[in-house]
Amino acid sequence: MKKVEAIIKPFKLDDVKEALSEIGIFGMTVTEVNGYGRQKGHKEIYRGAEYVVDFVPKIKVEIVVSDERLDEAVETVRNAANSGKIGDGKIFVSPVEQVIRVRTGETGIDAL
Amino acid sequence: MSDMLWHAHCLYLEIQINNKKAMDKENTDIFIKKREILIGRFLSGDEPEFLEKHSSVLDEYFFTIFEKSISSRKLTIAGTPFAIIALGGYGRKEQCIHSDIDLLLLFEKEVPPEVEAFLQELLYPLWDAGFEVGYAVRNVNECLEMAFERFDILTTMLDARFICGASLIYSGFMERFRSDLATKHLKHTLNYLYEHGEKRHFDFGDSTYLIAPDLKSGFGGLRDYHTLLWYAKIKSGIKTRRDLEYYGFLSNFEYLSLTESLNDIWKIRNFLHSITKRKCDTLYFEYQTELAGLLGYRSKNRAPDVERFLGDLHKRMDFLKQINQIAFEDILESTRIGKGTSEFRTTKIDGLVIKKGRLYFTNTVAVLQKPDLLLKVFLESGLRKIPLAIETRRIVSEFLHLVDDKIKKDIACIKIFKKIMSQSYWEFNVLNVMLATGILEKLIPEFSAIVSKIQYNHYHLFPVDKHSIRCVQIINSFKNHRGSATKSLYYSVFKEVRNKNILFFSALLHDIGKSDPAKEHSKTGAKTAKPIFERFGFNATEVNDAVFLIGNHLILIKTATRRDISDEETAIYMAHKIGKIRLLRMLYLLTVADSQATGPKAWNEWTENLLKDLFLKTMGVFRKGELASKKNQRLIDKRKKIVLDLLKEKWSEDKINKQLESMPQRYLANVSGQSIVSHINLYTNLKGKDFIWQVSEENDPDIRTISICGKDKPGFYSKIAGVFFLNNLDIIASQAYSYGEEHVIDIFKVKPPKDRIFEKEKWEKAQKDLVHAINDDHFLDNALDKIPRELQVSSGKNPKPNTVRIDNETSSFFTIIEVFTYDFPGLLFSITNALYRTNTNVDVAMVATKVDQVVDIFYVKSLVNDAKIENEHELTLIKKAILKSLPHITAKEMNNEKS
Repeated sequence: MKKVEAIIKPFKLDDVKEALSEIGIFGMTVTEVNGYGRQKGHKEIYRGAEYVVDFVPKIKVEIVVSDERLDEAVETVRNAANSGKIGDGKIFVSPVEQVIRVRTGETGIDAL
Repeated sequence: MSDMLWHAHCLYLEIQINNKKAMDKENTDIFIKKREILIGRFLSGDEPEFLEKHSSVLDEYFFTIFEKSISSRKLTIAGTPFAIIALGGYGRKEQCIHSDIDLLLLFEKEVPPEVEAFLQELLYPLWDAGFEVGYAVRNVNECLEMAFERFDILTTMLDARFICGASLIYSGFMERFRSDLATKHLKHTLNYLYEHGEKRHFDFGDSTYLIAPDLKSGFGGLRDYHTLLWYAKIKSGIKTRRDLEYYGFLSNFEYLSLTESLNDIWKIRNFLHSITKRKCDTLYFEYQTELAGLLGYRSKNRAPDVERFLGDLHKRMDFLKQINQIAFEDILESTRIGKGTSEFRTTKIDGLVIKKGRLYFTNTVAVLQKPDLLLKVFLESGLRKIPLAIETRRIVSEFLHLVDDKIKKDIACIKIFKKIMSQSYWEFNVLNVMLATGILEKLIPEFSAIVSKIQYNHYHLFPVDKHSIRCVQIINSFKNHRGSATKSLYYSVFKEVRNKNILFFSALLHDIGKSDPAKEHSKTGAKTAKPIFERFGFNATEVNDAVFLIGNHLILIKTATRRDISDEETAIYMAHKIGKIRLLRMLYLLTVADSQATGPKAWNEWTENLLKDLFLKTMGVFRKGELASKKNQRLIDKRKKIVLDLLKEKWSEDKINKQLESMPQRYLANVSGQSIVSHINLYTNLKGKDFIWQVSEENDPDIRTISICGKDKPGFYSKIAGVFFLNNLDIIASQAYSYGEEHVIDIFKVKPPKDRIFEKEKWEKAQKDLVHAINDDHFLDNALDKIPRELQVSSGKNPKPNTVRIDNETSSFFTIIEVFTYDFPGLLFSITNALYRTNTNVDVAMVATKVDQVVDIFYVKSLVNDAKIENEHELTLIKKAILKSLPHITAKEMNNEKS
């Protein structure tokens, strides 16, 4: 199993959610995060005072999928989150050792 | 001792111990049984005095153990008697089902080690049965010392109650405790009580409207009542709750309301303990439905009515908050030097007086004669931060019929109401008192539809009425400068709002449409609010502003979270939608207040940043003026219509509109409808090619327009300019625009080749060159060498030197670079190549030559991160690169003319 963590632009969340549910992935964890990569923060000036936006608001979407579905899931997220611009985000993939459903105790792919 | 005797003795002891154990077990079983029956009766609704009886059952148990215990007798015989004392809630006889049982074993002098055996008898069976029993074994001196050292111990001592044992030790201790408290520790203790209360409110927040209210420690929780009780115990040595009225801490009316509120909250707390099977004082979201059902709140279809249940609970907790306010005011008053006299002090308002820090009407006749006092009392309260006496509140409630149409239309009264609005702060929100007394609904009958309207979900923490009042309160907080940088932004925006009344009223009424089941509360709200604003005498412009604000109070937050705010188009769209700077300012503050007042799910640093960014960027569009102007918008609308007309035979309206939406406003404002159509055709024919171009002859036979649609690749614009230079085609003017997400439209006005016979071939060659240039980044290097290094100009003796100006303030999205120089062949190529080589992308270009002096304007972004360039070092490098690419300017020799 793999965990796919995608950092995306906030307004792309609905697209990503929809695209994932279209391929049958419904469960996900969504977090509001701040950060910056190549798209750094910036400053705005209002009435002579500077307002610095240090971090860029982003959304983090986390899903866990079976190894076979990884490519499809990543591709789906990428397509949905893509606006062709810098700041579209990044996708991280990492291995997941075990998944346990709390209620039933099911493990592995059954618990996804 | 012989062996046999020894055995017999052991046997005897064993039997004794077993008997004892059996007896203890029996006692415990009896206690548990009794308690269970009692709880059963309570849960089925047959035990109105549960708390007291529950405490008594416990008392009985401790009494029995004490009576029958051998070790306790031994202690007494050994000259070390002791008292068993109930503390805390148990001491107050307010023992809830799973609350801790707090005990104190108090000795006169030294605590003997033998007490251990008794503790085992007393407590082990309870612990074994799963009770949470806390105990302390101390002597009188230790107790006193600790009580004045630790506030939490002091407050439990205030509630101490004798259960059994040596009563003299208890009474002796209490006497010393009270006298020490009154003589040495009074001021310190009262201060502590006050500070502790403030800290608690800070830690727990306004519990009444949190999704999961804390029935004990939150604001409006039982602690508020405890605080008053402790204060009264400290101040006047009262013994029970009943004394609160007898000693004048509460009026009869207040006492009765307090009892009613406490009974309800205790009942809920006990049920909560019962279903969670533990000491749980937080009414978590997931228990609320079950509790509503258990407590008999059911809707017509028998389903639990959570919203009504919570509505009632909030009313109760609201009352405890008032109790807390009374306690706090009293504590403050009594710690202040000079103290509040019980004399009436007059105020500037005829008919209002102050007594002991509360506002009173001089008499009820005054109210009858001058009904506007009913409003003035709130303004006075807000301005002086003096609460209304409970009696005063009652009078207001009972004289509401005096607030008739005449009063409601009276200009002076309306003015008072407007002033009250700007006096509603967190610590002291007079609007809440107006709501509680019913006068707010009397003034704005439409408000009734949202009173105690609870939205049962994780998002909305407050009923709609309280939420609206909080909104007004938060806007008032913008008057305060202190805090983060963002706070100072709110402060300065607020200062710029000219008509603050409109902002306050819009905040109070923004959710007035919430009772609409159709879920279109903004629209409905705007409709409902219009006549209210008219009634309050606002003029037509003001009414329109308010209707706009209420009808659109969600657009900023929706756009900030659902649209790409790093796209200039979003800000331009926002500016068009809002239309006026004053509306943007008010809408921004309203949005911030609305989100903050909703709860942490709606408001956190993340949303705050998005919203701030959108606001500043939209403001930027307004400041620049041209793009946001009405005139410009009309022009764009006209062009769109032309395009629709020209294309409607071939394309569906939907498709055309979609295409138009992908075009930047700046493009639509600058390019004719006819050209837009021809660009659409170009774009349609592009089909995967790098670029496609079209040469057209204008009215002027000496000018050609080359329109190029291509993929947005770095350096594309520069390469086109280079190719024209390479082919000796003079560029007169040029514009560049991004087109959709990934394409560009570049428009060049060029002088045609001198040799008109082979013009077509010339263009074809240029086109081929562009293909080469795109594929080979160094294809144009040779052309670069042909750019002149020296330029002689004839404009006066002292030609102006080349100047590059960088403007990073005008646009939130681009760095604007202005280049002032003189025209020379290859000028545009030279500059744009310099930009390209310093990793800068030209998004928009406005290039025009006037006579020979030129001003070229480029809207650029960094190629590295597709954003404005803010790094000073990078900016300097770009500036230097451009200057270096320009020829040295010298004046033509003019000596001849002179002589």
